[in-house]
Amino acid sequence: MIAENTQTQMRKGILEYCVLSIISRGEIYASDIIAELRAAKLLVVEGTLYPLLTRLKNNGLLSYNWVESTSGPPRKYYTLTEDGRGILSQLDQTWQELAYAVGISQKGANS
Amino acid sequence: MEKTIIINIGNTIIHIEESAYELLKAYLNEVKQYFANHADDLEIVTDIENRIAELLTEQLEEQKKQVVDSANVNSVIAQMGKVQDFDTTEPGEEEPVISNAYQQQYAEKKLYRDMDDRVVAGVCAGIAHYVNADPKWIRVATVLTVFLGGSGILVYALLWIIMPKAKSRIERMEMKGEPANLQGFQKNLDEELLAVKERLGEVNKHAQPIFARLGIFISEFFEWLGRFISGTGKVIFKVIAGCIVVFGVLFLLTLIISAAAFQGFWDASIYEYFPFSIINEGNRGVILFGAFIVCFVPVLALVLFSIRVAFNKQAINKTLSFALLIIWLAGVAVTGYQAAKISSEFKQHAELTQTVDLKSFPAYTINIDKSKYFSKEDSVAYHIDANNRHQIVVDDFEDGPFVSPNHIRINIEKSETSVTRLTQKYESQGKTFQSALQNAQNISYTYTLKDAELIFSPRFQLRKGSIWRNQEVRLTLEVPVGTKLILKEDSYRYVNNYWTWDCKNAENDHNDFTVWIMTEDGLKCVAQLKEEAIKKQQLEQELSNLELMHKDKPTDTVFQDSVSNRIREVKEELGIKPE
Repeated sequence: MIAENTQTQMRKGILEYCVLSIISRGEIYASDIIAELRAAKLLVVEGTLYPLLTRLKNNGLLSYNWVESTSGPPRKYYTLTEDGRGILSQLDQTWQELAYAVGISQKGANS
Repeated sequence: MEKTIIINIGNTIIHIEESAYELLKAYLNEVKQYFANHADDLEIVTDIENRIAELLTEQLEEQKKQVVDSANVNSVIAQMGKVQDFDTTEPGEEEPVISNAYQQQYAEKKLYRDMDDRVVAGVCAGIAHYVNADPKWIRVATVLTVFLGGSGILVYALLWIIMPKAKSRIERMEMKGEPANLQGFQKNLDEELLAVKERLGEVNKHAQPIFARLGIFISEFFEWLGRFISGTGKVIFKVIAGCIVVFGVLFLLTLIISAAAFQGFWDASIYEYFPFSIINEGNRGVILFGAFIVCFVPVLALVLFSIRVAFNKQAINKTLSFALLIIWLAGVAVTGYQAAKISSEFKQHAELTQTVDLKSFPAYTINIDKSKYFSKEDSVAYHIDANNRHQIVVDDFEDGPFVSPNHIRINIEKSETSVTRLTQKYESQGKTFQSALQNAQNISYTYTLKDAELIFSPRFQLRKGSIWRNQEVRLTLEVPVGTKLILKEDSYRYVNNYWTWDCKNAENDHNDFTVWIMTEDGLKCVAQLKEEAIKKQQLEQELSNLELMHKDKPTDTVFQDSVSNRIREVKEELGIKPE
């Protein structure tokens, strides 16, 4: 149970970071985000993404545009806001630190 | 073929099969419930709905289809993920309580009646789902408890009332505890026990609308009864119909054979027996045919109807059955006409009287010839030597259904002269007086007088070829006063105007005869006369004693009164007129 819990926590934190990173590369549609996450083996089902996107949007990190689709109704395309970019750069830094911390923890400080 | 439904999902119009729609609706309900406590639930659900619409449209285009089926919906659900797989727990936030509860509730099995796999009301199948067993074992166990004092029936009825039936898809899934929903959810034994306790609590909750449940139970019970009757009952009806067909066909064959027999294929002598002896020779063919049709057609109709019930097959068409009806009516008409014609031959009455004076004897014995009458042909056929008196066939005097009413009747009367006289009166009916007389003349009757013994034949016969027209033979025996008659036991039933059995009782002997004497007041039983004489003597004795007592004039007035009362009674019995 503990392992599971930790895994979940780790995945959750990283998932948010990865979503922001993907969106930072340019305007993107939700299912494309999914495809990328799936390729990265971070996510299995789409259902998980929508609450996350909504929350990020409500926190001012994301914004979206309605873009006409060739088939069917218009789609939401997400982009990062300025705030989002700020947060992402902070997270980039945090990730570097974490990676360093993990590397040190695993191999020892002297190596 | 399947019914399709048009839905509007994410502003897209989609045709969807009903079963697929059920599936999708259930899924969206799950999703809505899952996000119900979420701050942005509407937006999230809308996003998801839009996405589903998009995926479905894509699939339809890809597969060049127009209607979404269950496979499409399932693949979309797989892509979107089940609610259990939505892991949105926000860091630092409390876990949404409802989602947890819902998840648990969903993964857990519920006790429902399985209406899809039921024998009576789906109770056994429901239990089987709940305990993960094969329904047949639960059913076998239930049937066994029925044999163990019938408690199983009571428990079954109770469960029928308590257990709700699985109506919706979700309820059916809950009932079966769909394995897909148990993903990543492992209950330990404690949780299992906890669940059982909760279930018991829910049973109490179920008990509240008990009247509503009783109503459901009763209506369902009758519904089941209806199904039972239309299923098993049909079989019973068919078996009965089959029996009717078999026996009806046998009866029809019998009718044909007997018709052939009456037609004289084998034996024309049947017309000598009652009631066939009523029918005139010329009309026999017609009446036989008419009667045959009257009997045959209804039985045939019954058989045809039974064939229809038993084999679900129309045996004959309407025209033919209509023709049968016409034939039957014609048969009834012919038979009715003939019957009327025959009854008209009973219109006139004729009597033929023959009187014989008998040789005088002081006493006559009246006996009945017990030997059966046989015609010459019959005697030959039965190998009876009519001349050999040691070899007789005894008539049992009992009338069977085919015996003509041909008993004689004897009246015994007082002769005004000193001559004993026997009068034979032959009576008959006929269409005209002449034919009636002719019919009366066709009676052949014999009696013998051998010394003082009169031997009567109990039955009269009709001459060969004559028809029955209510012929009767009445014998009147006139006997002078003072003549004794010895009636043999066999003759009792033929004596018409005296109740002979009383005399038999009075005699107290086990004789096979009774002795009678002709008096001025008619025939008297000698034994009864003796009895009466003894009684009279006793009464006279009593009377003389009483009169003596009366003469003494005792002082006790009460005693005096009782004595005079008794005198009056005795005198009354003796026939003495009071002064």
